[in-house]
Amino acid sequence: MRARAFTPWDIVRQVLVMAILVAFMFPLFWMLMTSFKSYGDILVSPPRWVFEPTLNNYVDAFQKADFAHYILNTLTVAALSTAIVIPTSALASYGFARYNVGGGNLMFFILTTRMMPPIAVVLPFFMIFKTLGATDIGSTLGLGLDQLGTLVVCYTIFNLPFAIWLMHSFFQDIPTEIEDSARLDGYSRWQVLRKVVLPLAAPGIAVTTIFCILFSWNEFFFASILTRSNAKTITMGVGDFWTQQGVLWGPLSAAAVVCVVPMIVMALILQRYIVRGLTFGAVRG
Amino acid sequence: MATSTHAPELPRKPRRLPRLLADHDWFGSILVAPAMLVIVFFALFPLGYAIYLAGHYVDLTSINQIGDYVGLTSFREALTNDAFSSAIRTTLAILVIALTTEVLLGVGLAMLLNRLKWFKGICRALFLLPLACAPEAAALIWRYLYDSDFGVYNALLGMIGLGPINWFGSSLPALASIIIFDVWQWTPFVTLITLAALQALPREPFEAAELDGASRFTVFRRLTLPLLTPVLALILVLRGMDLARLYDPISAMTKGGPGSATETVSYYLYRVGLEDFRLDQASAMALLVLFVIVVVSGLGLRPLMRAQGARARRG
Repeated sequence: MRARAFTPWDIVRQVLVMAILVAFMFPLFWMLMTSFKSYGDILVSPPRWVFEPTLNNYVDAFQKADFAHYILNTLTVAALSTAIVIPTSALASYGFARYNVGGGNLMFFILTTRMMPPIAVVLPFFMIFKTLGATDIGSTLGLGLDQLGTLVVCYTIFNLPFAIWLMHSFFQDIPTEIEDSARLDGYSRWQVLRKVVLPLAAPGIAVTTIFCILFSWNEFFFASILTRSNAKTITMGVGDFWTQQGVLWGPLSAAAVVCVVPMIVMALILQRYIVRGLTFGAVRG
Repeated sequence: MATSTHAPELPRKPRRLPRLLADHDWFGSILVAPAMLVIVFFALFPLGYAIYLAGHYVDLTSINQIGDYVGLTSFREALTNDAFSSAIRTTLAILVIALTTEVLLGVGLAMLLNRLKWFKGICRALFLLPLACAPEAAALIWRYLYDSDFGVYNALLGMIGLGPINWFGSSLPALASIIIFDVWQWTPFVTLITLAALQALPREPFEAAELDGASRFTVFRRLTLPLLTPVLALILVLRGMDLARLYDPISAMTKGGPGSATETVSYYLYRVGLEDFRLDQASAMALLVLFVIVVVSGLGLRPLMRAQGARARRG
């Protein structure tokens, strides 16, 4: 790289990007501001830019709406579904990447299930889980309306195709020569997978895991239709402050901050892989 | 073929296994089996059940809930249902406008970011933030930003002598509010992917073009744009499919209103199926939508994913 002085175009470009950036960050900035505002500072016109900050909204979020419960629910569902998704998808995507099972047709079929409009799945699910919840098996396994097991099932089928595709791209990046030489050293195919491939694919598996947790945390559609109170997740909980009597913007903003900030942190951790993740592994960022 | 790999065969005792099992592929099939079981069971079973529901009279408010077999009646009704076609039109309008804006703005922003002189990394990281937010939570916040009495957007518009706009009072502003929200959340998606593609472009043709004295516009039109086309097509298909099933912001901001101005297909089907409890009609319409989306994704997505994958493997 040769050092050179900047041109006027550099400044124009910088100013433009900064302006767009301010516009894009503003809603998040305003959410953060509102979450520290007292009731009187929120419902005023024109909106106040300077105010005395308070933590009451956060206290309200956890006391009036049982946010701890929603977070626990969300984490449980995210953890369980990810625990099912990661091993199955790791095996499957390795099978697809190295043994070319189904010659690409099966891979594509899997992608189509992810592209299904969720409404087409949720309507039959509503009936299935309504019936299942009334049975003994259903209630022991937590498979019914407003039960955590139901959400685990939904998030598993939602994340599995994604995880297979994303991990597939990571397995493809591992040079086959390494596996070949391990085979020559007398490893069985299973040993090659366990002792050579999986350690090499560890970063990809980690990235996929974080993505699955992120998607489960942010999921709203299935949760809004299949849960009411017991199995309510965090995205549902944010809506708690939207009441018949009116909207409590302060606690709602605080709840939204609690919902959004952990995932922003995760996304920043994933930064290098975010493009790959968002395109199901098709574009290596 | 290129993806399967086998070590050169070592000499070994001939095995007495049936041909099927002796074949190399059985190991791969075993690896794939658990995932396929989950997918087939949990994705295809509900689908079959949806077909069953669509073929019967299902009204959850009636005593029997699932009534007589009615054949294709629900599908026939779906095709002549005005509210359904209106929801399709609304969805398509949102899809076309939001997607166009996102791609133009997103690609423009990526070009700017690509040649940004200062703080490139930080800017790129910050544009990630809208993407990471739960759409529903973010949309609720936007509902407050749009508020006609206390919303900051009307205050800002007032400063430059515009507005106030009653965002959710009539159809056009309500549609605009949904589209602006989606543009906010998903333009970074276009930007980040395009930026990654821009940075992966081969250098040689650009150097050659510079030597030939081509203008910037020519380089963009003749070189950058064609090289970006596969990625742009992928963005269009992925984003298009997301927009086709838009639900979260509708549920959080407008509930389909005012009237049915912002009622998308997903929200309308939710209303028919789980507020009016007519699961037969909702299932029939959902299956029609599903069919269209699977056909579109089959035609559009497959070659794109293939092309990108092949490109990536070539390195």
